[in-house]
Amino acid sequence: MSVLEVFRWVQYTEFATAFRESGLVYPVVMTGHLTGMALFGGMIAMTDMRLLGWAMGGTSITETVKQLRVWKQIGFVLTVGCGLMLLMAKAELYYHNPFYWTKMTLLFLVGVHALVFHKSVYGNTEELDRAPRVPARAKVAACLSLFIWVGLVAAGRSIAYWDVPGDLTPSYSSVGPEAPGHHRR
Amino acid sequence: MMQIQIPYDPATNPLNNNEWSFPLLEIIHIVGFAVAIGSIFMVDLRLIGVGLRRRLPSQWAKDLAPWTLGGLAAVLMSGPLIFSSDPNMYLNNSAFRFKMGALVIAILYQYTVHRKVAFADPSPAVGALTGIVSVALWVSVVAGGLFIAFV
Repeated sequence: MSVLEVFRWVQYTEFATAFRESGLVYPVVMTGHLTGMALFGGMIAMTDMRLLGWAMGGTSITETVKQLRVWKQIGFVLTVGCGLMLLMAKAELYYHNPFYWTKMTLLFLVGVHALVFHKSVYGNTEELDRAPRVPARAKVAACLSLFIWVGLVAAGRSIAYWDVPGDLTPSYSSVGPEAPGHHRR
Repeated sequence: MMQIQIPYDPATNPLNNNEWSFPLLEIIHIVGFAVAIGSIFMVDLRLIGVGLRRRLPSQWAKDLAPWTLGGLAAVLMSGPLIFSSDPNMYLNNSAFRFKMGALVIAILYQYTVHRKVAFADPSPAVGALTGIVSVALWVSVVAGGLFIAFV
């Protein structure tokens, strides 16, 4: 099966169809997606700002990273779980949307970032705390993380601004709500 | 629901004549609320007693206060600009009205009860109640915003 066929199959499963046609369950799941993002993204931002020396001056890097770890993971699971539901509901529309794939690429880069910097930065906080100044590699890690994170938000929001060409549009309508009040051309 | 009409033509608003301004404002709005609400949730989790327990609520609250304020500033600057793109639609949208009510209560609560309790390192029961009310208020604000496009 091609990726497109998988996406088509997913969106017409009973679960995805019921969810798509559920009316108000849809925005409730979106609320979960964004609440999880506030938890997850907010904590990532705070950790990165701590590494850059802009925030949480009263807390050591070790404490910041350790104390936030579990809730960051919970926020991540909530965001991705709700995100998967939103994807399943209109999978074929997302498939044709370049911003969706931009977002997935950035999500993949989150994983690469974690692998690359775990040993030297996020799993090595005690040494960072002992160093007289936060080493450059930690600051680079923090900057990259912030860029990826803002990029994810930007790509996610941009999905709603891309119109799938008419001949590719499945029988149900647009991706999520149109930006309210936005006079689209 | 009482209808409100203000004499204002959205077509005269430069934000509606530029393809990039609206999504850019939304991105600022989302990043801003993630920082604001994320930092508030961190204090809430500590108050409720389910996380971040190695430090006192007052220590987290003190460290995070500037970021809560910064995030709120980003949200409160981008929000009215988004609103200006179609005020009559927003004013007559029940989810938007709910959101504004919840937002006013949430901000007042944040800078009165929540602040006072967090800085006083309260008993577990008082902390839990304060934290749960805070989470409920801010989730209501987020939900209200999302429902604007669905009601």
